[in-house]
Amino acid sequence: MVFWFVAALLTFGASVAVLLPLTGSSRRDSAGNQHDLAVYRDQLAELDRDAARGLIQPADAEQARAEIARRIIRADSSEEMPAEKAGWSAAGRVLGGVAVLVVPLMSWGLYAALGSPDIPSQPLEARLTQNPADSSVDELIARAEGHLAANPQDGRGWDVLAPIYLRLGRFDQAVTAYKNAIRLEGASAAREAGLGEALTNAGGGIVSSGAQQAFERALVLEPAQPKARFFLAVALLQDGKSAEAIKAWETMGAELPEGSPWREPVAQALAEAQSRIAATEAKEPAAGPTQAEMDAAASMSSGDRKAMIETMVAGLDQKLRENPQDTDGWMRLVRSYVVLGKTQEARSALGRGLEALGAATENGRKLTEFSAGLGIPVSE
Amino acid sequence: MVETGHFALILAFSLALVQSVVPLFGARTGNERLMAVGGPVTVTGFALTALAFAALTMAYVQSDFSVLNVWENSHSLKPMLFKITGTWGNHEGSMLLWVLILTFFGALVAVFGGNLPATLRANVLAVQGWIGAAFLLFILTTSNPFTRLAPAPIEGRDLNPILQDIGLAVHPPLLYLGYVGFSVCFSFAVAALIEGRIDAAWARWVRPWTLAAWVFLTGGIAMGSYWAYYELGWGGFWFWDPVENASFMPWLAGTALLHSAIVMEKRSALKIWTLLLAILTFSFSLLGTFLVRSGVLTSVHAFATDPSRGVFILGILMLFIGGSLALFALRAGNLAAGGIFQPISREGALVLNNLFLTTAAATVLIGTLYPLVIEALSGDKISVGAPFFNLTFGSLMVPLLALVPFGPLLAWKRGDIHAAAQRLMAAFAVALLAVLSTLLFIDGATVLAALGIGLGVWMILGALTDIVLKSGLGAASGKVMLSRLRGLPRSVYGTALAHMGLGLSVLGIVGVVSFETENILTMRPGQTVELSGHTLRFDGLHPVQGPNFTEDQGRFELLDDDQKVIAEIVSSKRFYPARQMPTTEAGIKTMGLSQLYVSLGDETADGGVVVRLWWKPLVILIWFGGLVMMAAGAISLSDRRLRVGAPSRRAKPLAGKVSQSQS
Amino acid sequence: MTRKQKRLSVIAAGAVFLATATGLTFYALGQKASYFYMPADLQAATLQPGQRIRLGGLVEPGTIVRGQGTEVSFGVTDHEKSVKVTYTGILPDLFREDQGVITEGTFGSDGVFVADSVLAKHDETYMPKEVADGLKAKGVWQEN
Repeated sequence: MVFWFVAALLTFGASVAVLLPLTGSSRRDSAGNQHDLAVYRDQLAELDRDAARGLIQPADAEQARAEIARRIIRADSSEEMPAEKAGWSAAGRVLGGVAVLVVPLMSWGLYAALGSPDIPSQPLEARLTQNPADSSVDELIARAEGHLAANPQDGRGWDVLAPIYLRLGRFDQAVTAYKNAIRLEGASAAREAGLGEALTNAGGGIVSSGAQQAFERALVLEPAQPKARFFLAVALLQDGKSAEAIKAWETMGAELPEGSPWREPVAQALAEAQSRIAATEAKEPAAGPTQAEMDAAASMSSGDRKAMIETMVAGLDQKLRENPQDTDGWMRLVRSYVVLGKTQEARSALGRGLEALGAATENGRKLTEFSAGLGIPVSE
Repeated sequence: MVETGHFALILAFSLALVQSVVPLFGARTGNERLMAVGGPVTVTGFALTALAFAALTMAYVQSDFSVLNVWENSHSLKPMLFKITGTWGNHEGSMLLWVLILTFFGALVAVFGGNLPATLRANVLAVQGWIGAAFLLFILTTSNPFTRLAPAPIEGRDLNPILQDIGLAVHPPLLYLGYVGFSVCFSFAVAALIEGRIDAAWARWVRPWTLAAWVFLTGGIAMGSYWAYYELGWGGFWFWDPVENASFMPWLAGTALLHSAIVMEKRSALKIWTLLLAILTFSFSLLGTFLVRSGVLTSVHAFATDPSRGVFILGILMLFIGGSLALFALRAGNLAAGGIFQPISREGALVLNNLFLTTAAATVLIGTLYPLVIEALSGDKISVGAPFFNLTFGSLMVPLLALVPFGPLLAWKRGDIHAAAQRLMAAFAVALLAVLSTLLFIDGATVLAALGIGLGVWMILGALTDIVLKSGLGAASGKVMLSRLRGLPRSVYGTALAHMGLGLSVLGIVGVVSFETENILTMRPGQTVELSGHTLRFDGLHPVQGPNFTEDQGRFELLDDDQKVIAEIVSSKRFYPARQMPTTEAGIKTMGLSQLYVSLGDETADGGVVVRLWWKPLVILIWFGGLVMMAAGAISLSDRRLRVGAPSRRAKPLAGKVSQSQS
Repeated sequence: MTRKQKRLSVIAAGAVFLATATGLTFYALGQKASYFYMPADLQAATLQPGQRIRLGGLVEPGTIVRGQGTEVSFGVTDHEKSVKVTYTGILPDLFREDQGVITEGTFGSDGVFVADSVLAKHDETYMPKEVADGLKAKGVWQEN
């Protein structure tokens, strides 16, 4: 509203700038050669001053004076400019009218085509201090980040931000946030378990020793912490101790209260682990690491393990080349590359995935969002 | 605020259209009221453009990422200074600055042009209006800085890191003040062609505008050269790069214009030539804008460009250059020619100066555009670089520079070359002495280098000679001399100082080109290296966190003979995460007029760092000479006699009457 | 000399000056301009020994080798042919694998291009125009 008022005011001002001289009285200006004469006389005066000060030799001054005098005579005798018409010619009248009209019409017309009057100014500071209910998630996070950059000792802030990072897939930042929260607010089962999950995800789904320790610390604080128990079972599975993993999940499933959100994942994990054991022979090479591979990986040094993971990722990549309509596969591939630190490949995997799925489809968008969460934006 | 700025810019465009038609028509038909429209419309147009520019600056300061331009070129963590300078650190913003300066100069003509004949004033403002309208249309249609982004991102993409520098804060505005300052001379020239006559006031107006524009352009070029010197980490001060040439051509033509305008003002001669030069100089400015903005030429200074913009600017270029030259061809014959003079005279010297400078500008133009022509004709891609320019431009400049001291010593109309030569004997002797002592006392000095030093000394002393002679040395007592020195017009000092500044720059260039030493080596912490008598110890790399970058600072200690630390030099490799872009910050230690320049390369596998060191003797003089030239221009500009229509305070009765009718 | 003769002699001197300058300019253009080639163009080109050229293309991934001290060698490729380039000095900040680059120098007798300058750009999204045109013509690279 204010904008329209200001725009109208500006238009009015601009139109007046055109209109005012048109309606003003006609100030008679001297003819052109009068100006010339004035300049020449000024030159003469200047010459006299220089001569008086001894800057010019008298003979030179005399010569120059004669020359200027000739110019004055020439200017005097030159024809007067055509007499100016005091009144309005028809064409002049029309032009004046058009000029006054053109300013508002042209401006409002152009602005209608080019402007975006409905978008308000959005200074960053104002956006970050507005009512949280009106903010997008990104804005809220940016706000929290800004706050924490200024007050890095605010443990509660880190505590709030950490699970949000985790959910958005910004795992490295989640790790930092959880660590800060634990450092400043003290350890709690939820924070330790969160840290473990963040570490696990940051590591591409492998429960590293650091993550395992975090989960174990969580269980010390709260023996029934479901997330910690769940992931410790995953760790067992990854260590090749399938039977123990299944047992752990079975106990956990039995102890979980009715309506716990963990019932579903536990049941799924259990079923998967059991079916995998049952189908050890009839395995599908590209469906991910098999039990045997897992066992092999567990007994390897970290360098070898990385090499093996890379081989498996390459297998997945190959499979997706043959069968590209697999959204989850693409997501896994992008994440694997990110975990391996191969940003370039991750980007290209994302590109290929989007090409196969179609960037505008539901699945394509899912992949885009997922990748963005990992810090891999769609390249333009 | 953003939309208000956008609207103001559109209004300014509408007003520019009115400005380009109404006063012109008024002048044709002798309609006073229509002519009078020019002034208020020009001033209002400037106010509106300033409002638009303020709105954009505000968006940068407040990190309003709902503006596409801000999002593309800013970052909330960027230091405030670079948020502000970032406004013109990009294509759209810099074009807006260009138009802002254009309308500002137009407004100055409108406000202070009261003593101009009404038709001349109306025509000048109309021509300014054409330029303004064309560039405003260009901005609005192809490079609108007010394009919005919805929803607004929460963080921007940051400004190209090498542009986050104080040098950039100053360089483009100065350069544009220069480029656009010549637009006023251009408008006066075209207005004179439209009217078919050159007023006596014409020369008085054109000279100070040329001078002012020249001062800014000199500053802009010197600043840009220094920026490239320390920011790119290559240690070079001039690359003969198309973008540099783009600013150098208007400078050469503008320098010629500056000199021919003197002849025109003092002697009413060379009128038509001066008019043509005024057109050419601004044409070079437009060409410069086109070359930089279109990206048709490969340049080390090139940034990502959009070809569609190039086509638009090319259109503007053809329209204005072609149009004005056609008008010149049609009308120049009708203009009254000016006075006559002998070949050996001040006028003759200035004509010679013009001949050299315009030929030099043409050489640079040919070298710059030749690759384009060849590619269009044969498809071959070639590049014309420093070897070409050094040969052609160099061989044109050396005789010109050698002749410079003679010019001011020659009398108007008919000069005496022998007398002038005699008076310069002392300067010549000292210069010769400089040549000989360079050869004798400096190791590895070539004859060419010694002659170069001699040339610089000759120019400086030649300029001093002029001042000393005008004080009447020998013929008068000390007191008289002093009072004469005080009474000398400031423009005389300006001339001498400008020629001296040129001599200083020549000394600096010769010093660096001939006596520079360089060493590239891999250094490990604790290692020392010696270069031209300076011992440097590498202290190691230290990571440092900047506001929007991280850097590895390579610290070097400058040691004296007793191994004591005299100074620390820090050269660093920066990394700007927002753009994923590394930059090199050169470490520079100034010692007297010379500099020690340290640039870091990559780390090697065995823990060392590639380091490039230069000893650059007299390098400061290159830019100091530029500063002296700027100061000279400013002094000349402050000469009362140049200030347009300034009534003389000590005027005689006749002049008193005149100044009344003038103001 | 009459005034007319004097004027004529001045004009003649000016013309001689301009002719000299023009001659010098075009002589220098013939001598000092350096041609631009992509690696695959080199076979068709006839180069005199020691002729300065500009060689442009992409920095071939995996070919950057840092040798003795400050010497660096890398491959410049247009995805058809590749040329080995050696350079002594500090590479530009934006020198990366797969990045457009222009090098200037001469071919050594061993077929290795010895560059005395390596140009990369001020702007990470910028591709040298010659390289962009050349790669586009070969269908290797598209402008986004």
